[in-house]
Amino acid sequence: MNDQNIITISCLTKFYKGSDKPAVDDISLNIKQGEVFGLLGPNGAGKSTIINILCGLLTPTNGQVTIHNLILGKNNYKIKELIGVVPQDIALYPSLTAMENLIILGKIYGLKGKDLSNRIYELLTMFGLEKSKDRRISYFSGGMKRRMNLIAGIIHNPKILFLDEPTVGIDVQSKKVILDNLREINKLGTTIIYTSHLMEEVQKICTRIAFIDEGKIIAEGIPSELIKSDPAFFNLEDVYLKLTGKKLRD
Amino acid sequence: MQKLFALLYKDVLLLIRDRAGIALLFLMPLVLVFIMTSIQDNTFKSINESGISLLILDNDNDSLGLTIERELEKSNIFTISKEINHIKPTEATLKDAVASGIYQIGIIIPAEVTKKLKKNSKRNISRAFSGLPADTTNRIDTSQISVYIDPITKNSFKTTIFSTLREFTSKIENEIIIAEITKEINQRLPFNKVCLSSKNSITFKEEYALKENSRIIPNSVQHNVPAWTMFAMFFIVISLAGNMIKEREEGSVNSLLTMPCSYSTFITSKILIYILVCLLQLLLMLLMGVYFFPTLGLPALKIGVNFFAIFIIALSSSLAAIGYGVLIGTLSTTHQQAATFGSISVMILAAIGGVWVPVFAMPPFMRSISIISPLNWGLNGFYEVFIREGNTFSVLFDSFKLILFFTLCLLTSLLYKRLIRK
Repeated sequence: MNDQNIITISCLTKFYKGSDKPAVDDISLNIKQGEVFGLLGPNGAGKSTIINILCGLLTPTNGQVTIHNLILGKNNYKIKELIGVVPQDIALYPSLTAMENLIILGKIYGLKGKDLSNRIYELLTMFGLEKSKDRRISYFSGGMKRRMNLIAGIIHNPKILFLDEPTVGIDVQSKKVILDNLREINKLGTTIIYTSHLMEEVQKICTRIAFIDEGKIIAEGIPSELIKSDPAFFNLEDVYLKLTGKKLRD
Repeated sequence: MQKLFALLYKDVLLLIRDRAGIALLFLMPLVLVFIMTSIQDNTFKSINESGISLLILDNDNDSLGLTIERELEKSNIFTISKEINHIKPTEATLKDAVASGIYQIGIIIPAEVTKKLKKNSKRNISRAFSGLPADTTNRIDTSQISVYIDPITKNSFKTTIFSTLREFTSKIENEIIIAEITKEINQRLPFNKVCLSSKNSITFKEEYALKENSRIIPNSVQHNVPAWTMFAMFFIVISLAGNMIKEREEGSVNSLLTMPCSYSTFITSKILIYILVCLLQLLLMLLMGVYFFPTLGLPALKIGVNFFAIFIIALSSSLAAIGYGVLIGTLSTTHQQAATFGSISVMILAAIGGVWVPVFAMPPFMRSISIISPLNWGLNGFYEVFIREGNTFSVLFDSFKLILFFTLCLLTSLLYKRLIRK
């Protein structure tokens, strides 16, 4: 195994119960430490299934995944201590305040006392939410909720961060704060696995990407190199449309 | 342990922030037990205590009429009136008042009925003492007491009124006959006057078959408080399952599962919180039964002396209810599904288990299937302590069944959760 690889996926296949078509079809992929890796693809391509397997929420039908030298399925508990997940849906308790949500999540990750409160204040300040710490999440705006969702995923300073469309449906200001801070987090050593449909955003933040369609990787590389690969491509969206086609996906 | 405490903190906050849920968990059972006890206590009273409204028109105004009135009053079964709006009724107005449901029963005692009774007795006794056979000719004056009954009055009430009337008329008739016999004997004896008594030589003693030294008398409160406590405990299914589904729909469960926190820790936290909820429910119900009911004229709940046995049966009942809630919360895909299935299934289990109607009052077939309801096991356990003054050992079998039910529900939930992950 390459020392730089923080995630190694070998021949990963996932069949959902009752389906004869694989959601993930024999995928092999290496993600290097410190990368911001983009997983791109149309709806139903298999991105979420891959992320859910990597997070331990789903069991693969076949294949092997190693995360930070730990085999998924055998060392799930240790792996979960290393990863942070920011789902597309706001996975916070709406009737609880920002502070209460973060205290609970921090304690689950083993943080306590001064370390926990310092970390909470640091993150709330970083994302401009320090004044809203005692407000319930249900009273937050969409942008504030997205920022809180991100804080919840990084409270324990994870080595690997999975982000599933973290900027969907928010204003430009909130989006900027999130992307700027993600770059900062990445600089501090966190590997980021990022899925999004916003090609411009992916182009800005990802150091490497993989296009997935019908459960398979159809292209992989550095965004700028993929754009350069064909003179007809002006941006990542052109690459995306060329690879996945213009047919609507459900 | 820190993870479990964090989840407990989360569950407590979620619970106390859900005001509707709190009302459903604590207020609803209290209201329910109060209403059901009051209703059942009144039904009980309508049979045994002052309850049946009775209008009496006494045209006799002599021994029989007065005795019937006095004895009916003494029986405490009836609320007796002799006037309608301060006016003495006529036969027609009495009949109308009963027909329109103002009174459940109307009695008309005809005029001179005592006089006729005395006359007939005197004639028969004189003939008997003179060695003549009893007079069976139509010279005997018969009287008819008319009883009007509201058509919706239960058969049991009709039976009660007729037996009461028969008993009292026979009693007064006997008294008149004995008085006549005494008079005849005394007329024939020159000295040592006799005094025959019509007093009953056989009396009845009513007592509940309770264990030695037990002072607990079964009543509507002794049944209703444990019965509706069991119902309330199982009604947490809706809150618990709803809570689980809400967390699942919001994505917070999946989020927790991506953290170093197992599903069993998540469930353990829920179990501990809801055990506390169930025990609090029980405590409130018991306090209501012991201290609040007597202030409303209802009998006070007697909880016996074995508090450890109460705790054991309460804890195992709580676990059974929680296990069922976890199972429904795991298997249901929507909140609506859980709420509908949860509430209907708990209603059915409650009905089968003897919450609505005690098992002994059920038909044989229903009695035989009542044993499948966990509510019946819990209720039996509470009866054992509250009514039979049983000890910890006597509730162990019911507790075991409840804990087994909890274990099965929990294992099924965890197995299902594991299956859907695949």
